[in-house]
Amino acid sequence: MKKEVFQIYLTMITASIRGKMEYKMTFLFMFFALLVYYAGHIGVVLVILTKFKTIAGWSLGEMAFLYGLMVFSQGLTSVFFSSMNEFETLVVNGEFDRLLVRPLNPLGQILSSKFEIISLANFTIGITALCFGSYYAGVEWTFAKALFLPAVLFGAVLIQGGVRLAVSAVCFWTVRNRSLVHTVVYSSKEMILYPVTIYKMWMQVFLTILFPLAFVNFYPSHYFLNRDGSDLLFHPVIQYLTPVVGVIVFTCAYALWRVGVNHYQSVGN
Amino acid sequence: MTREVRATDAEAEAVREFLTGSGLFENLYLKFAMKSFQKQLAYKFEYFIGVFNGLLFIFIFTSLWRAIYAGSESAEGSGFTSGSIIAYAIFAMIVRISMSMDDMSTIGKVRSGAISLDLIKPMNYFSMALSESIGQSMFHWFTRVVPILAVCLLMFDISLPVSAANYTLFIVAWVFGYFIMFMINFLFGLIAFWTIETFSFQLMKYGLFTLFAGGIVPIDFFPDWARPVVDFLPFKYVLYVPTALFIGHIGGAEALKLIAVQAFWVAGLGFTCWGMWGAAQRKLVVQGG
Repeated sequence: MKKEVFQIYLTMITASIRGKMEYKMTFLFMFFALLVYYAGHIGVVLVILTKFKTIAGWSLGEMAFLYGLMVFSQGLTSVFFSSMNEFETLVVNGEFDRLLVRPLNPLGQILSSKFEIISLANFTIGITALCFGSYYAGVEWTFAKALFLPAVLFGAVLIQGGVRLAVSAVCFWTVRNRSLVHTVVYSSKEMILYPVTIYKMWMQVFLTILFPLAFVNFYPSHYFLNRDGSDLLFHPVIQYLTPVVGVIVFTCAYALWRVGVNHYQSVGN
Repeated sequence: MTREVRATDAEAEAVREFLTGSGLFENLYLKFAMKSFQKQLAYKFEYFIGVFNGLLFIFIFTSLWRAIYAGSESAEGSGFTSGSIIAYAIFAMIVRISMSMDDMSTIGKVRSGAISLDLIKPMNYFSMALSESIGQSMFHWFTRVVPILAVCLLMFDISLPVSAANYTLFIVAWVFGYFIMFMINFLFGLIAFWTIETFSFQLMKYGLFTLFAGGIVPIDFFPDWARPVVDFLPFKYVLYVPTALFIGHIGGAEALKLIAVQAFWVAGLGFTCWGMWGAAQRKLVVQGG
């Protein structure tokens, strides 16, 4: 990447952060509200675990680790990709045309236009859950695990970012994609809140190969938690594959996006 | 300025026409319900995704309970059997779908200034909003609840209750639950009259609903120390009570007691809505418009 291009992105990102920080109270209040919102989901899992001790063989500590990995990576994904969720508006209003005539990658322009700092709430909850989970599940942190964690987060962000990118690319053909965003981006999170072994076999295959969300938290957790992986459908090597899967998913999504951009016809207003 | 006057005139004209067309004044709210029903018909794709979403959640929660009950020996004695918990999960989700309503309507109107047009109309805003909401829900009943129910009856080992008592109790509890839900949404919507930032409040409301309404976990599973709080909050009367009465998990005197508490909440919230609506009107600031 050329130096001046990098400069432009940096300016756009700081502008977006400064814009958000203009309303400090709103930001703080939103932060608090998000904590309450997530507390609702955590509460549900806690009630279940207090009553039944385990979910598909996952204890409280392990469930917390699983959840922490999901919430943290989801927050990190939102930092870079939250603008994709409103991509429909750009296409419907014809604003995407404006991005095309600028001498800068249109995707880069969209991504740097909104840098979601409210993800701080996800990081707070995610780190707390990971620490709590490590402690209760007795994770032995080794140097290799400490190195692998950022790699997993990188892969998880690419998977979830790739999914958002692919869903946005649908707009080039259908113009609208709001309901699709709702199902694929928001509702699907609910699926990996729990270990995927609760699902029937075809669903586990689906979440591994076609819509590989299981790589976001479920498979890598096996490595960190030293789970033997005998309940897995696939070879245990799968627990190390998150970064690779991330690169594959994102490459495919980007390819689809490029085809979409070439296919794009302005709505004409 | 001229344009503004004309817009108001046209609006007044439309209202007058609307009133004459609807004959009796009571029919006005029925018309709002009908219009709202028709509006929903316009979005076909949204509709299919909505049905798909509902089935997806049912699929997730039934899988969850099946796994929990398979892995825990004490689970069968928890008040729900492995069969009845699946029925609970499915019907709780269906009740949730039947109650889905547009909780951003008032907020959107305050933000755009359209609320001022509703205020000059010779009618009660609360009743209008309620009729619109009922119209939407009737749409959800016919187009979402019925197909999702049909799919679930085929796919899962569940059956509809046979006793008329279950249906009677359910209908009463559902109506009361619906009013409670609507009024909570209405009150949260009124926040828009005081502050521009409303989404945070909505998020908190969703968080409270997820945990305390019993949509995912039946209230019975809460630890004893938490029960007084959960039982006091209005949320469980929205989803848990209608669902538990429908599947026959609760019956007899206990059911009637819960319905009485529901009625109490409906009255209390109704009174609060009335008071808050008065306060909100005095507070209204329309930006531009």
